[in-house]
Amino acid sequence: MSTATDRDGHDDRGRGRGGDLTSLLDPRSLPLRHQFGLVGLVLLAIFPLFVPTTDIPTFIGAIYLMLFAMSWDAVSGYTGQISLGHAFFFTLGGYGSAILNIQHGLNPFLSIPIATAVAALGGLLIGVPALRVRGPYLALITLILIPITRQLFVLFSDSFLFIAPGGLGGNSGFTTPTTPLVGAQPGAVITVGELGGLGRFVVGNLASYYVAFLLFLIVLVVLLAITRSDAGNVFKAISEDESAVAASGLNPAKFKIFAFVLSAAVGGLAGAMAVHSPALNPLPQQLLTIELSLTVIIAAVIGGIGTIVGAAVGAFAFELTEFIFGLSTLQFQLPLVGQSLEDLFPLPLFLIGVLTLFFLPEGIVPGNIELGRDALTWLRQRRGDREAAADGGESWAETEFEPAGRRNLEATSGPGGPSGFERTVERYRKRALEYGHDALDRTRRVIREYRR
Amino acid sequence: MSTTTDADTSDDSTSTGTETGLAAETAAGPDDGVLVVEHLTKRFGGLTAVDDLSFAVQEQEILGFIGPNGAGKSTTFNCITGTYPPTEGTVYYRGEDVTGESAYDMVKRGMARTFQSFAPLYDRTVVKNVALALTPDKLFSLSGLRGGTRDRAVEICERVGLGDRLDQTPGELPHAGLLRLELGRALATDPELILVDEPFAGLSNQEVGEVSDLLADLRAEGLTLVVVDHNMRGLLDLIDRAIVITFGSMIAEGTPEEIRTDEQVQEAYLGGEL
Repeated sequence: MSTATDRDGHDDRGRGRGGDLTSLLDPRSLPLRHQFGLVGLVLLAIFPLFVPTTDIPTFIGAIYLMLFAMSWDAVSGYTGQISLGHAFFFTLGGYGSAILNIQHGLNPFLSIPIATAVAALGGLLIGVPALRVRGPYLALITLILIPITRQLFVLFSDSFLFIAPGGLGGNSGFTTPTTPLVGAQPGAVITVGELGGLGRFVVGNLASYYVAFLLFLIVLVVLLAITRSDAGNVFKAISEDESAVAASGLNPAKFKIFAFVLSAAVGGLAGAMAVHSPALNPLPQQLLTIELSLTVIIAAVIGGIGTIVGAAVGAFAFELTEFIFGLSTLQFQLPLVGQSLEDLFPLPLFLIGVLTLFFLPEGIVPGNIELGRDALTWLRQRRGDREAAADGGESWAETEFEPAGRRNLEATSGPGGPSGFERTVERYRKRALEYGHDALDRTRRVIREYRR
Repeated sequence: MSTTTDADTSDDSTSTGTETGLAAETAAGPDDGVLVVEHLTKRFGGLTAVDDLSFAVQEQEILGFIGPNGAGKSTTFNCITGTYPPTEGTVYYRGEDVTGESAYDMVKRGMARTFQSFAPLYDRTVVKNVALALTPDKLFSLSGLRGGTRDRAVEICERVGLGDRLDQTPGELPHAGLLRLELGRALATDPELILVDEPFAGLSNQEVGEVSDLLADLRAEGLTLVVVDHNMRGLLDLIDRAIVITFGSMIAEGTPEEIRTDEQVQEAYLGGEL
C-alpha cells in the first residue's frame, strides 16, 4: 500500500514539474487511469447515437442519476456524514423549479437557478444539525425527511401559502407538464428539429441528452476540482478524525457545512434540470423516495465511495443493468423462480452492491485502479526479467509460450517473491474464502439453533 | 468579573510577597506569562475535575505538568485548548482572554497540542498528515497546487525524526513514531507554544532520551513547551519548572530538585495520605 502511494505521488510530481502545458494536455502523457476516464467520457458522448431512439430518455435518466450519486458522494463519501435522504435535495430542486415554472410562470432559465438556491438552503438546514448529531442519528434525521416531506405534499396538496398557490400535488404529483428545456415541442425553451415527423422527436431527445451531458461535464469538473483540492483533503480528514482536523488549525464545522451545501446545490440543480427533461417528472414516486436515496448510495458504493468518478460509474452501471434487464429479447420466464428477468430488477444490482461491499469494499473504480497498477508493475517487472533473461540467451518466444501455470509458479517462487498483482489476487481469494467460511459457520449455527 | 479577580489576586501577591513560587503562581495576572490560567475550575456534574487552578507559563520555558492518574491534567489541557469550556475561570494567551475558544482558533493563535491517545489520520501517509496542518483554513485555496506544501511537510517530518517514514501510513508506525507524528502536526501549525500530552508513556528509555532531546531542541529554537506526564521518569531531567497537581488542585510548584524533595508530592505519589 505504502509503495503504491509512493509511486503515485512520485509520478504526479514528475509530471507536474517536468512537462509544459502542451504536454500536460496531451492525453498520451496522462496516467492510464485518466486515459480510461477520457475514453469513458467519449463513449458517454457518442453512445446515444447507437441506442434505439425510444430508449434515449432512459439514458437521460442515467445521466441525472449519475449527478444525484455524485452529489451524495461529495458530502457522504468524502466527509463521512452519511445522508440516507438525499432525495430530499433532488425534490427541493425538482419540485422547486416545477412550481416556479408551472404555478408562477417563470422561465426554466430562472426557475432552475432559484430552485438550486432553495436546495442549497436545504443543505444548510441539514448541515447545521450535522454539526451536533453524528453517525446513525444524522442518517436517521436525513431519512425521516422523506416521509415528512411526503406528508407535507399531501397536507398541502391544494395550496401551500404564497409559495405554491396551486398546491404541492399530493401523492400524484403535478399533472401539468413543465416547460421542456430543449425539445421538438413548440413550447420548449429551445426548440430543435425542424425536420417534421418523427425525426424531430429523435433530435429533441438527443438534444435533451446532450444538455444533461453538458451539465454532467460541468458538475464533474467542479466536483473534481473541489475534492482534489485542499478542501477534499480536509473532507476526508473529517471523516477520519475531527479532533485531528481541529488540532491542525482547521474548522471542521465550516468544511462540513460547505460539503452539505455543495452537495445539496448539485443534487438540487440536477433535480431541477431533470424535471425539464424527458427523464423525470415532478412526481413524488420519481423524486421523493427512500429508494432513490438508497439507489444513489448503492451506485456510489459499487463505483467507489469518495471518488466522485466512482459514483458516476456506479450510477451508469445501475441504469445500464436496468436497461439490459428490460430488453425484450431477454424476457423469458426464468427457470425455478418463474419470474421474468425484468421483474427481478433491481434485486440483482442490490445483490451486486452487497457483494461489492464484501469483496471490493473500496468499489469498482479504486479497486480496478489498484489492480491495474499492480498489473502494470507486474508487466514491467516481467519485461525487465525478460530483457535480463535475453542476455542469458533465452528467446522471447520461450518466455511467451511458457505454460501459464509454470510461469506463475516461477513468479511466486522467484527471488523477488510474489508480485503485486499476484498478492492482490491472493488477497481477494483469501478474503472470499474467509467470508465463505464465515457464512458457512453462521449457517451451521442457525441450523443448530433451529434443531433445538 | 475578570477585573475584580485581577484586583483580588494582585492584592494577594503583594500581601504574601514573594516567599514561595506557589503563592506567586496563584497571583498570576493576564500578562504574567505567555499562557496564564486563572482560577480554572471544571466540574462534570458532581465531580470536580479541576479545582480553582492558577498558573502561568513563561516564554520559552519547558513547564512540567505533573500529577498522578486522574489528577485532572488532561481536563486542564482540554479546557485550555478549547476541547470544552471551563466551568469557571479564565485562560489568557498573550494577555488576551481566550477562555472557551474553539480548538482550531487556539491553534491559529499559536497554541498547538498533541494527543495522549494519538489522533493521526490513518487514511493517509505520514507526510500527508503533516501537510494537512499546513493547509490554510479556507474553503477555496490553491496552495496545494503550488507544490510547496509537500516540501515543507517533508522538512517538518525530518525535523521530528520521521524522514525515513514519509510514505508510510500511521498504522505502520511504532508507538514512538506516532508521538513524533503528533509533534510534527503540531509543528506544522507554526506554533509558539505546544502542549505535549503524556509524551513518555509507553516509550523505552532510549526513546525517552531521543524525544527529550527533540523537545529541548525545539525550545532552543524559541518554542514554549508544556509537558504533561504522570510519570516523572525522564520528565524531571527535561523541564525547567514543574507544577504538581492532584485531585484538581496544585500541591507543589518549583524546580525539578524542589519537586523531587517535596513531601506532599511524595505523599501524593506513594499514597502517603492513607
